[in-house]
Amino acid sequence: MKRWLLALLMLAAAPAAAETLVSTLSNSQVLITSSFDGATLSMFGSIEPGAEGTAEGPYNIVVVITGPLQSRVARIKTSNYGIWSNTDQVTFQHFPSFYAVISSGKLDAIAPPDVLAQYTVLPEDQARTTAQATGLKAERFSLELVRMMGEEGHFVMQEDGVRFLSNNAYAVNLQLPSDVVNGRFLVRTLVLKNQQLVTERTESFSVRKSGFENFVFVASRQQPLLYGIVCVLLALGTGWLAGVVFKR
Amino acid sequence: MNLFFLVGIGGAVGFLSGLFGVGGGFLLTPLLIFSGVPSPVAVASVTGQVAAASTSGALSYYRRGGIDLHLAMYLILASTIGAMAGVATFSALRSAGQLDLFISVSYLLLLGFVGTLMMVEAVRTMMRRRQGIVTPDRLPSQHSWMHGLPMRIRFKKSRLYISVLPVLAIGVFIGWVGALLGVGGGFILVPALVYLLRVPGNVVIGTSLLQVVAMMCVTTILQALTSQSVDIMLAFCLMVGGTIGAQFGASAGKYLRGDQLRALLALLVLAVAIRFGLTLVLPPSDPFSMAVLAGGLPQ
Repeated sequence: MKRWLLALLMLAAAPAAAETLVSTLSNSQVLITSSFDGATLSMFGSIEPGAEGTAEGPYNIVVVITGPLQSRVARIKTSNYGIWSNTDQVTFQHFPSFYAVISSGKLDAIAPPDVLAQYTVLPEDQARTTAQATGLKAERFSLELVRMMGEEGHFVMQEDGVRFLSNNAYAVNLQLPSDVVNGRFLVRTLVLKNQQLVTERTESFSVRKSGFENFVFVASRQQPLLYGIVCVLLALGTGWLAGVVFKR
Repeated sequence: MNLFFLVGIGGAVGFLSGLFGVGGGFLLTPLLIFSGVPSPVAVASVTGQVAAASTSGALSYYRRGGIDLHLAMYLILASTIGAMAGVATFSALRSAGQLDLFISVSYLLLLGFVGTLMMVEAVRTMMRRRQGIVTPDRLPSQHSWMHGLPMRIRFKKSRLYISVLPVLAIGVFIGWVGALLGVGGGFILVPALVYLLRVPGNVVIGTSLLQVVAMMCVTTILQALTSQSVDIMLAFCLMVGGTIGAQFGASAGKYLRGDQLRALLALLVLAVAIRFGLTLVLPPSDPFSMAVLAGGLPQ
């Protein structure tokens, strides 16, 4: 409620031009605890009139969420002499670990292909632009990678996820799966009218492991030697303890 | 991954390892891979579990004086070098995208070979028993071609005076295979010590266990350093389940005859080998796969 009031206050301070967008996220940080099984964030926004003093719709909203970037590789298995093995691969540099497109309607009805391409909205475009290959090969692996990411719940398309509360105000629910990657998530909001971009806005939230999980994860990356030694001591200790407890 | 599932799978494999007197890595790693754990993580994390499972055994043999420390030292030194080579090979195969293939083929060959040998031996013993022929455990002959090699060393406890070269070669090979496949290598090391080096029966198991503990510790640290795919939580769940299961397995083992145990173990080993063979031959449900190379660190 407080954030809503804040959003309304910001309305008054909006700079003069075309329409502007004010929006806010329910959380700026998502903590992953040991019982974490996904999270839902809410986002509220309002399209404010510019200098002309008009903010008349109908508007369409596209929200694009991009998770932390990773290097990912897609591989294909083929059968050679009766044995299935990986024979070809394409690496994708700086590829999002999570990607969601949430819109207020069918994307192809909201925006023409050139606008979607210009703002790299479609997940396939994310793959194409990061593929370390060219031509048909890049195209084929891009489509397959997007399909696999979708099957694992890391790439999401939700074409009815933006709910209009009034002509100018909307609400979005962002679902994060249980196995999200740590790091900064960017939330890009595009406002479209008559199939053209009116305004856009980018904000972010961060996801990080909390407590013991975070400690263990950071230790394995920053103090690998110590981590390995602790693992070994744990093994020796468990073995020794079992020998003492179950002495035959 | 479910905590109870992991402790359970560790317990089940621990039961089998206690029953058959093996480390269990060669069953646990495949089981984890088949249940969806990425093979790099499975291989690297099982090493910790194998170390834990072998520690209590090694300790009790040590108390009974069933370890040839001198021989174990040479084996450990050699297997450390082998493990370094194994971890390097592991990383190279992983970045080339051929780790899964290599693991499948190696398991198929290794388990197929060992399983067949054990099966043949167990069936032969059973048939002899049925015919009423009592065969005393064969005493190893005192000489083989190994004894002609240079650099001979006296291992007092094992009452051996043999060349150090085959000892080192066995150590390097075990270290390499162990690091690559996430196995302790006891099921290769024991036959190698018995049949190649003629190590007497009273120190074979203890020496092999000590070597497995040392090598798995080295491998765990090396994997943590290079591939960073050791999952300490996964390893710990497996350790707890494994060490407890092993105690029950060891008690259950007293009710079965040696040849029956070996035949059962051979069946199990062959089943795992066949499962790996199938993954190689059958068309995959999805020819495409993906993996993360780097990134996604906390900020």
